[in-house]
Amino acid sequence: MSPEPEVAEHFANAQVQRNAVRLGMWAFLGTEILLFAGLFAGYAEYRSLYPEAFFYCSRHLDATLAMIETAVLITGSFAVVLAHHYAGERRGGLTSLSLLAAVATGGAFLALHGVEYVTHFHEGALPGRYYTLAEIPIAGSSMFFTLYFLMTGLHSLHVIAGAGVLAWLALRAARGPITEHKYNAVELGGLYWHLVDLIWIFLFPLLYLI
Amino acid sequence: MVRSQVETSSHEGLSIGGYALIYVVLLVLTVATFLLSRHDFGIWSTVIALAIAVAKASLVALFFMQLWEHGGTYRLAVATALLWLALMIVFILADVKTRFPLAVPSNAPMADQPVHGGPGTGKPGPTQRQTPP
Repeated sequence: MSPEPEVAEHFANAQVQRNAVRLGMWAFLGTEILLFAGLFAGYAEYRSLYPEAFFYCSRHLDATLAMIETAVLITGSFAVVLAHHYAGERRGGLTSLSLLAAVATGGAFLALHGVEYVTHFHEGALPGRYYTLAEIPIAGSSMFFTLYFLMTGLHSLHVIAGAGVLAWLALRAARGPITEHKYNAVELGGLYWHLVDLIWIFLFPLLYLI
Repeated sequence: MVRSQVETSSHEGLSIGGYALIYVVLLVLTVATFLLSRHDFGIWSTVIALAIAVAKASLVALFFMQLWEHGGTYRLAVATALLWLALMIVFILADVKTRFPLAVPSNAPMADQPVHGGPGTGKPGPTQRQTPP
């Protein structure tokens, strides 16, 4: 089996190929934004209907922990940027290490978020009719926690998917030289990871800081 | 063959120092938004928190995701997604914020009220007028 050509036949050169794969990725990221858009719109609606409940429930969440989670995700984004930089210099070892660092930040984020979930399960701060938090007996509180679990849950699924992709990229970067294909893959995987970070940048103030 | 030749090194984006600077700014903004949220600025609390979030997101999108450098069609894809996001939120809020209870005159049930009865439920439907006792 002959090795895959660096540039597919239908592209004039590597730059054109890069532009094409990038545009495809951005179109996909656009649909990801729209996937979350429904939840953000739902949040806007219920927060306008139950401002008091949303205020007290938000205050009930652990904002300090969420700030640390934010810093962890931003660190992951920085690691991915380094990986992209090193992949551009064709340095496979450093690329792989940076990607693994990003995977580690993803794991740390999920662990910290798991701590939050466990707390909420024990105190009964749960969605819909499972809401039993005696501390905040205000109508609308259960909707806050419905949205909280949907938004952070969907986001955490993206973190898991992104970390899986980055781990796969790290393996590929560690094996053999960085080819044009691997470089593009690192860039696209990185874009996905940054999007996951972007979503969290908005979830953090909306859920924890209002 | 020129076609299969690929430059062995491709320096795109900022230097490591530049990225590190943006990383530090992002961390500072994260701590700043947290500290500011501990004070009550009334309606401005949300505005401040969202403004900082937009600033952070812009830094990530423009420099980490290289939109600043690449621009063009990629920005179009982002702008389209953001436009739909805005439309969705604005019109849903406009609906929710302008709702009012429908007026019900005396005892006469109105045909456009929510239907709880109707065929098969054993209750009178919306078109069947009930005579007051």
